[in-house]
Amino acid sequence: MWVPIVGLLIGLFIGWALNIPIPGVYAKYLSIAVLAALDSSFGGVKSIFEEKFNAAILLTGFFSNALLAALLAYLGDQLGVDLYLAAVFAFGVRLFQNLAIIRRELLSGWAKKRRALKEKRDSDE
Amino acid sequence: MKMRNWQLPLTFVLFMTGILLVSAIEALQGQEDLPTKTQSENLIAKIETQEKELSELEKQIDANRKSLDKYQESISSGKKEEESLKYQLDRLKILSGISDVEGAGIIIHLDDNNKGYEAAKNKDPEHVTANDFLIHDKHLLYIVYELREAGAEAISINGQRVVSSSDIRCMGTTIGVNTIALSPPFVIRAIGDPDRLSESLERKKSQYYSLKMAGYPASIEKQSKLIIGAYKGSYQYSYAQPKEEQ
Repeated sequence: MWVPIVGLLIGLFIGWALNIPIPGVYAKYLSIAVLAALDSSFGGVKSIFEEKFNAAILLTGFFSNALLAALLAYLGDQLGVDLYLAAVFAFGVRLFQNLAIIRRELLSGWAKKRRALKEKRDSDE
Repeated sequence: MKMRNWQLPLTFVLFMTGILLVSAIEALQGQEDLPTKTQSENLIAKIETQEKELSELEKQIDANRKSLDKYQESISSGKKEEESLKYQLDRLKILSGISDVEGAGIIIHLDDNNKGYEAAKNKDPEHVTANDFLIHDKHLLYIVYELREAGAEAISINGQRVVSSSDIRCMGTTIGVNTIALSPPFVIRAIGDPDRLSESLERKKSQYYSLKMAGYPASIEKQSKLIIGAYKGSYQYSYAQPKEEQ
Protein backbone atom coordinates (compact mmCIF):
# COMPACT_ATOMS: atom_id res chain seq x y z
CA MET A 1 0.00 0.00 0.00
CA TRP A 2 2.86 2.38 0.76
CA VAL A 3 4.76 1.46 -2.35
CA PRO A 4 2.90 3.86 -4.68
CA ILE A 5 3.38 6.75 -2.23
CA VAL A 6 7.08 5.95 -2.01
CA GLY A 7 7.10 5.90 -5.82
CA LEU A 8 5.54 9.38 -5.84
CA LEU A 9 8.15 10.70 -3.39
CA ILE A 10 10.97 9.18 -5.43
CA GLY A 11 9.50 10.70 -8.58
CA LEU A 12 9.34 14.14 -6.90
CA PHE A 13 12.92 13.76 -5.71
CA ILE A 14 14.20 12.65 -9.12
CA GLY A 15 12.32 15.43 -10.85
CA TRP A 16 13.89 17.93 -8.42
CA ALA A 17 17.33 16.32 -8.75
CA LEU A 18 17.30 16.15 -12.54
CA ASN A 19 16.02 19.70 -12.83
CA ILE A 20 15.01 19.12 -16.45
CA PRO A 21 15.32 22.42 -18.29
CA ILE A 22 12.01 23.13 -20.00
CA PRO A 23 11.59 26.27 -22.10
CA GLY A 24 9.06 28.67 -20.63
CA VAL A 25 6.93 28.42 -23.76
CA TYR A 26 6.19 24.72 -23.07
CA ALA A 27 5.62 25.14 -19.35
CA LYS A 28 1.92 25.60 -19.93
CA TYR A 29 1.63 22.34 -21.86
CA LEU A 30 3.59 20.56 -19.15
CA SER A 31 1.13 21.85 -16.57
CA ILE A 32 -1.72 20.35 -18.58
CA ALA A 33 0.21 17.08 -18.75
CA VAL A 34 0.66 17.18 -14.99
CA LEU A 35 -3.05 17.68 -14.61
CA ALA A 36 -3.69 14.65 -16.84
CA ALA A 37 -1.17 12.61 -14.84
CA LEU A 38 -2.86 13.55 -11.57
CA ASP A 39 -6.18 12.63 -13.07
CA SER A 40 -4.85 9.22 -14.11
CA SER A 41 -3.32 8.67 -10.68
CA PHE A 42 -6.55 9.44 -8.83
CA GLY A 43 -8.48 7.44 -11.41
CA GLY A 44 -6.19 4.47 -10.70
CA VAL A 45 -6.66 4.80 -6.94
CA LYS A 46 -10.40 5.02 -7.45
CA SER A 47 -10.41 1.92 -9.63
CA ILE A 48 -8.62 0.01 -6.88
CA PHE A 49 -11.42 0.89 -4.46
CA GLU A 50 -14.02 -0.01 -7.05
CA GLU A 51 -12.11 -3.22 -7.64
CA LYS A 52 -12.02 -2.50 -11.40
CA PHE A 53 -8.27 -1.91 -11.63
CA ASN A 54 -6.72 -2.56 -15.01
CA ALA A 55 -3.01 -1.85 -15.50
CA ALA A 56 -3.35 -1.44 -19.28
CA ILE A 57 -6.14 1.11 -18.96
CA LEU A 58 -4.21 3.03 -16.32
CA LEU A 59 -0.97 3.16 -18.27
CA THR A 60 -2.49 3.95 -21.67
CA GLY A 61 -4.79 6.48 -20.03
CA PHE A 62 -1.84 8.09 -18.28
CA PHE A 63 0.24 8.56 -21.42
CA SER A 64 -2.54 9.31 -23.87
CA ASN A 65 -4.28 11.77 -21.56
CA ALA A 66 -1.07 13.66 -20.81
CA LEU A 67 -0.01 13.78 -24.47
CA LEU A 68 -3.46 14.60 -25.76
CA ALA A 69 -3.95 17.32 -23.19
CA ALA A 70 -0.62 18.88 -24.10
CA LEU A 71 -1.35 18.60 -27.81
CA LEU A 72 -4.80 20.10 -27.36
CA ALA A 73 -3.35 23.04 -25.48
CA TYR A 74 -0.73 23.51 -28.19
CA LEU A 75 -3.36 23.33 -30.95
CA GLY A 76 -5.51 25.81 -29.05
CA ASP A 77 -2.58 28.20 -28.88
CA GLN A 78 -1.98 27.86 -32.62
CA LEU A 79 -5.64 28.51 -33.33
CA GLY A 80 -5.81 31.38 -30.90
CA VAL A 81 -8.40 29.57 -28.77
CA ASP A 82 -7.77 28.83 -25.11
CA LEU A 83 -8.41 25.12 -25.65
CA TYR A 84 -6.28 24.16 -22.68
CA LEU A 85 -9.12 25.47 -20.53
CA ALA A 86 -11.23 22.59 -21.80
CA ALA A 87 -8.56 20.13 -20.62
CA VAL A 88 -8.28 21.95 -17.29
CA PHE A 89 -12.03 21.81 -16.89
CA ALA A 90 -12.37 18.15 -17.87
CA PHE A 91 -9.47 16.94 -15.73
CA GLY A 92 -10.44 19.22 -12.86
CA VAL A 93 -13.97 17.93 -12.73
CA ARG A 94 -12.82 14.32 -12.99
CA LEU A 95 -10.21 14.92 -10.29
CA PHE A 96 -12.78 16.14 -7.83
CA GLN A 97 -15.18 13.35 -8.76
CA ASN A 98 -12.46 10.75 -8.24
CA LEU A 99 -11.42 12.34 -4.97
CA ALA A 100 -15.03 12.29 -3.81
CA ILE A 101 -15.38 8.60 -4.69
CA ILE A 102 -12.08 7.80 -2.96
CA ARG A 103 -13.21 9.68 0.12
CA ARG A 104 -16.55 7.86 0.15
CA GLU A 105 -14.89 4.46 -0.34
CA LEU A 106 -12.41 5.21 2.43
CA LEU A 107 -15.19 6.27 4.79
CA SER A 108 -17.36 3.25 4.00
CA GLY A 109 -14.32 1.00 4.38
CA TRP A 110 -13.55 2.58 7.75
CA ALA A 111 -17.18 2.21 8.86
CA LYS A 112 -17.25 -1.44 7.73
CA LYS A 113 -14.08 -2.07 9.69
CA ARG A 114 -15.56 -0.47 12.81
CA ARG A 115 -18.74 -2.47 12.46
CA ALA A 116 -16.76 -5.67 12.01
CA LEU A 117 -14.68 -4.75 15.07
CA LYS A 118 -17.82 -4.09 17.09
CA GLU A 119 -19.43 -7.35 15.99
CA LYS A 120 -16.23 -9.18 16.89
CA ARG A 121 -16.21 -7.53 20.33
CA ASP A 122 -19.89 -8.36 20.79
CA SER A 123 -19.32 -11.99 19.83
CA ASP A 124 -16.33 -12.10 22.23
CA GLU A 125 -18.53 -10.95 25.07
CA MET B 1 -0.96 -11.43 -5.00
CA LYS B 2 -3.96 -9.49 -6.10
CA MET B 3 -2.53 -6.51 -4.20
CA ARG B 4 0.59 -6.65 -6.32
CA ASN B 5 -1.53 -6.41 -9.37
CA TRP B 6 -2.17 -2.71 -9.02
CA GLN B 7 0.83 -1.68 -6.93
CA LEU B 8 3.46 -1.59 -9.67
CA PRO B 9 1.55 0.26 -12.38
CA LEU B 10 0.25 2.80 -9.90
CA THR B 11 3.72 3.29 -8.48
CA PHE B 12 5.02 3.93 -11.98
CA VAL B 13 2.22 6.36 -12.75
CA LEU B 14 2.72 8.24 -9.52
CA PHE B 15 6.48 8.25 -10.10
CA MET B 16 5.97 9.81 -13.53
CA THR B 17 3.46 12.23 -12.10
CA GLY B 18 5.96 13.27 -9.49
CA ILE B 19 8.61 13.96 -12.11
CA LEU B 20 6.17 15.87 -14.28
CA LEU B 21 4.86 17.87 -11.32
CA VAL B 22 8.28 19.00 -10.17
CA SER B 23 9.36 19.74 -13.73
CA ALA B 24 6.21 21.75 -14.37
CA ILE B 25 6.59 23.70 -11.12
CA GLU B 26 10.22 24.44 -11.88
CA ALA B 27 9.40 25.35 -15.46
CA LEU B 28 6.65 27.67 -14.25
CA GLN B 29 9.01 29.24 -11.77
CA GLY B 30 11.40 29.73 -14.67
CA GLN B 31 8.54 31.18 -16.65
CA GLU B 32 7.84 33.62 -13.89
CA ASP B 33 11.28 35.03 -14.55
CA LEU B 34 10.31 35.71 -18.15
CA PRO B 35 7.52 38.16 -17.46
CA THR B 36 9.69 39.88 -14.89
CA LYS B 37 12.42 40.01 -17.47
CA THR B 38 10.14 41.47 -20.11
CA GLN B 39 8.64 43.73 -17.46
CA SER B 40 12.04 45.00 -16.48
CA GLU B 41 12.91 45.40 -20.15
CA ASN B 42 9.73 47.36 -20.64
CA LEU B 43 10.58 49.47 -17.63
CA ILE B 44 14.07 50.03 -18.94
CA ALA B 45 12.65 51.06 -22.32
CA LYS B 46 10.20 53.38 -20.57
CA ILE B 47 12.98 54.90 -18.51
CA GLU B 48 15.10 55.35 -21.60
CA THR B 49 12.31 57.08 -23.50
CA GLN B 50 11.62 59.29 -20.53
CA GLU B 51 15.28 60.10 -20.21
CA LYS B 52 15.29 61.03 -23.88
CA GLU B 53 12.26 63.22 -23.33
CA LEU B 54 13.95 64.73 -20.32
CA SER B 55 17.10 65.54 -22.24
CA GLU B 56 15.00 67.05 -25.02
CA LEU B 57 13.12 69.14 -22.51
CA GLU B 58 16.41 70.19 -20.97
CA LYS B 59 17.61 71.23 -24.39
CA GLN B 60 14.42 73.21 -24.84
CA ILE B 61 14.92 74.86 -21.46
CA ASP B 62 18.45 75.72 -22.45
CA ALA B 63 17.25 77.24 -25.72
CA ASN B 64 14.50 79.14 -23.92
CA ARG B 65 17.00 80.47 -21.41
CA LYS B 66 19.27 81.60 -24.20
CA SER B 67 16.45 83.40 -25.96
CA LEU B 68 15.44 84.91 -22.62
CA ASP B 69 18.99 86.15 -22.15
CA LYS B 70 18.84 87.64 -25.61
CA TYR B 71 15.59 89.38 -24.83
CA GLN B 72 16.97 90.68 -21.55
CA GLU B 73 20.07 91.88 -23.30
CA SER B 74 17.99 93.70 -25.88
CA ILE B 75 15.84 95.11 -23.08
CA SER B 76 18.90 96.30 -21.20
CA SER B 77 20.38 97.73 -24.40
CA GLY B 78 17.03 99.40 -24.90
CA LYS B 79 17.36 100.76 -21.40
CA LYS B 80 20.83 102.01 -22.22
CA GLU B 81 19.43 103.66 -25.29
CA GLU B 82 16.64 105.10 -23.22
CA GLU B 83 19.13 106.36 -20.68
CA SER B 84 21.28 107.96 -23.33
CA LEU B 85 18.17 109.46 -24.88
CA LYS B 86 17.07 110.76 -21.49
CA TYR B 87 20.52 112.21 -20.93
CA GLN B 88 20.41 113.88 -24.32
CA LEU B 89 16.93 115.11 -23.60
CA ASP B 90 18.07 116.60 -20.30
CA ARG B 91 21.01 118.27 -21.98
CA LEU B 92 18.75 119.62 -24.69
CA LYS B 93 16.34 120.88 -22.06
CA ILE B 94 19.20 122.75 -20.40
CA LEU B 95 20.42 124.10 -23.71
CA SER B 96 17.00 125.15 -24.85
CA GLY B 97 16.24 126.57 -21.42
CA ILE B 98 12.88 124.94 -21.03
CA SER B 99 13.68 123.59 -17.59
CA ASP B 100 14.75 125.14 -14.32
CA VAL B 101 18.43 124.61 -13.66
CA GLU B 102 20.57 124.95 -10.61
CA GLY B 103 24.28 124.98 -10.02
CA ALA B 104 27.26 127.10 -9.14
CA GLY B 105 27.53 130.44 -10.83
CA ILE B 106 27.57 134.19 -10.39
CA ILE B 107 25.04 136.97 -9.92
CA ILE B 108 25.82 140.33 -11.52
CA HIS B 109 24.14 143.42 -10.23
CA LEU B 110 24.06 146.35 -12.63
CA ASP B 111 22.37 149.66 -12.47
CA ASP B 112 22.27 152.96 -14.33
CA ASN B 113 25.06 155.33 -13.42
CA ASN B 114 22.77 157.80 -11.70
CA LYS B 115 25.51 159.17 -9.48
CA GLY B 116 27.82 159.79 -12.46
CA TYR B 117 24.98 161.46 -14.28
CA GLU B 118 24.28 163.79 -11.37
CA ALA B 119 27.93 164.62 -11.01
CA ALA B 120 28.38 165.23 -14.71
CA LYS B 121 25.26 167.33 -14.86
CA ASN B 122 26.53 169.44 -12.01
CA LYS B 123 29.88 169.79 -13.71
CA ASP B 124 28.86 170.48 -17.25
CA PRO B 125 25.07 170.52 -17.67
CA GLU B 126 25.11 171.55 -21.34
CA HIS B 127 27.01 168.66 -22.85
CA VAL B 128 25.66 165.89 -20.65
CA THR B 129 22.90 163.55 -21.75
CA ALA B 130 21.28 160.95 -19.51
CA ASN B 131 21.75 158.41 -22.28
CA ASP B 132 25.45 158.18 -21.60
CA PHE B 133 24.85 157.02 -18.06
CA LEU B 134 22.20 154.40 -18.71
CA ILE B 135 22.54 150.67 -19.16
CA HIS B 136 21.83 149.94 -22.79
CA ASP B 137 20.74 146.83 -24.59
CA LYS B 138 24.15 146.31 -26.17
CA HIS B 139 25.79 146.35 -22.74
CA LEU B 140 23.65 143.46 -21.68
CA LEU B 141 24.18 141.74 -24.99
CA TYR B 142 27.93 141.97 -24.68
CA ILE B 143 27.86 140.78 -21.11
CA VAL B 144 25.77 137.82 -22.17
CA TYR B 145 28.29 136.99 -24.90
CA GLU B 146 31.15 137.34 -22.50
CA LEU B 147 29.44 135.02 -20.08
CA ARG B 148 28.84 132.52 -22.85
CA GLU B 149 32.44 132.78 -23.89
CA ALA B 150 33.42 131.92 -20.31
CA GLY B 151 31.31 128.80 -20.46
CA ALA B 152 28.06 129.95 -18.93
CA GLU B 153 25.49 127.20 -19.32
CA ALA B 154 22.41 129.16 -18.35
CA ILE B 155 21.86 132.89 -18.19
CA SER B 156 18.95 134.98 -17.10
CA ILE B 157 18.38 138.72 -16.93
CA ASN B 158 15.88 139.83 -14.31
CA GLY B 159 14.38 136.35 -14.37
CA GLN B 160 14.18 136.16 -18.17
CA ARG B 161 16.06 133.16 -19.38
CA VAL B 162 18.36 133.96 -22.24
CA VAL B 163 17.95 131.21 -24.81
CA SER B 164 19.10 130.73 -28.37
CA SER B 165 16.18 132.64 -29.79
CA SER B 166 16.18 135.35 -27.12
CA ASP B 167 16.30 138.93 -28.31
CA ILE B 168 17.93 141.68 -26.33
CA ARG B 169 16.99 145.06 -27.68
CA CYS B 170 16.18 148.63 -26.79
CA MET B 171 12.57 149.33 -26.02
CA GLY B 172 12.79 153.03 -25.36
CA THR B 173 13.32 153.52 -21.67
CA THR B 174 13.40 149.81 -21.06
CA ILE B 175 15.31 146.83 -22.44
CA GLY B 176 13.41 143.99 -23.99
CA VAL B 177 14.55 140.48 -23.27
CA ASN B 178 12.33 137.78 -24.78
CA THR B 179 10.12 140.76 -25.72
CA ILE B 180 9.54 141.41 -22.02
CA ALA B 181 10.38 144.98 -20.98
CA LEU B 182 12.91 145.10 -18.20
CA SER B 183 14.05 148.13 -16.30
CA PRO B 184 17.06 148.70 -14.09
CA PRO B 185 18.50 147.56 -11.80
CA PHE B 186 19.51 144.48 -13.70
CA VAL B 187 20.35 141.19 -12.10
CA ILE B 188 22.12 138.81 -14.42
CA ARG B 189 22.41 135.23 -13.24
CA ALA B 190 24.77 132.82 -14.92
CA ILE B 191 25.52 129.20 -14.13
CA GLY B 192 29.03 128.07 -14.85
CA ASP B 193 32.45 128.03 -13.23
CA PRO B 194 32.15 131.08 -10.89
CA ASP B 195 35.86 131.92 -10.99
CA ARG B 196 36.11 131.62 -14.73
CA LEU B 197 32.96 133.67 -15.26
CA SER B 198 34.04 136.45 -12.94
CA GLU B 199 37.55 136.48 -14.38
CA SER B 200 36.15 136.76 -17.85
CA LEU B 201 33.95 139.66 -16.84
CA GLU B 202 36.68 141.52 -14.95
CA ARG B 203 39.16 141.29 -17.78
CA LYS B 204 40.23 144.65 -19.21
CA LYS B 205 38.27 145.74 -22.27
CA SER B 206 35.38 143.58 -21.25
CA GLN B 207 31.95 145.17 -21.20
CA TYR B 208 31.48 144.70 -17.48
CA TYR B 209 34.93 146.07 -16.72
CA SER B 210 34.40 149.18 -18.82
CA LEU B 211 31.01 149.77 -17.24
CA LYS B 212 32.50 149.44 -13.81
CA MET B 213 35.37 151.78 -14.74
CA ALA B 214 32.84 154.24 -16.07
CA GLY B 215 31.35 154.35 -12.61
CA TYR B 216 28.27 152.21 -13.07
CA PRO B 217 27.21 150.47 -9.87
CA ALA B 218 28.23 146.92 -10.71
CA SER B 219 29.10 143.99 -8.56
CA ILE B 220 29.69 140.25 -8.95
CA GLU B 221 28.43 137.77 -6.42
CA LYS B 222 29.82 134.25 -6.58
CA GLN B 223 27.34 131.57 -5.63
CA SER B 224 27.93 127.90 -4.96
CA LYS B 225 24.32 127.25 -5.78
CA LEU B 226 21.84 129.31 -7.64
CA ILE B 227 18.68 128.58 -9.51
CA ILE B 228 17.79 129.90 -12.94
CA GLY B 229 14.19 129.61 -14.00
CA ALA B 230 12.96 128.11 -17.21
CA TYR B 231 12.28 129.96 -20.43
CA LYS B 232 8.58 130.62 -20.42
CA GLY B 233 8.20 131.53 -24.06
CA SER B 234 7.78 129.16 -26.95
CA TYR B 235 9.94 128.01 -29.80
CA GLN B 236 8.37 128.34 -33.15
CA TYR B 237 10.02 127.05 -36.22
CA SER B 238 8.14 127.78 -39.39
CA TYR B 239 10.98 127.53 -41.85
CA ALA B 240 13.65 125.40 -40.41
CA GLN B 241 13.11 121.64 -40.66
CA PRO B 242 15.45 118.98 -39.40
CA LYS B 243 17.50 117.71 -42.31
CA GLU B 244 16.92 114.02 -42.77
CA GLU B 245 20.06 111.96 -42.67
CA GLN B 246 20.79 109.97 -45.75
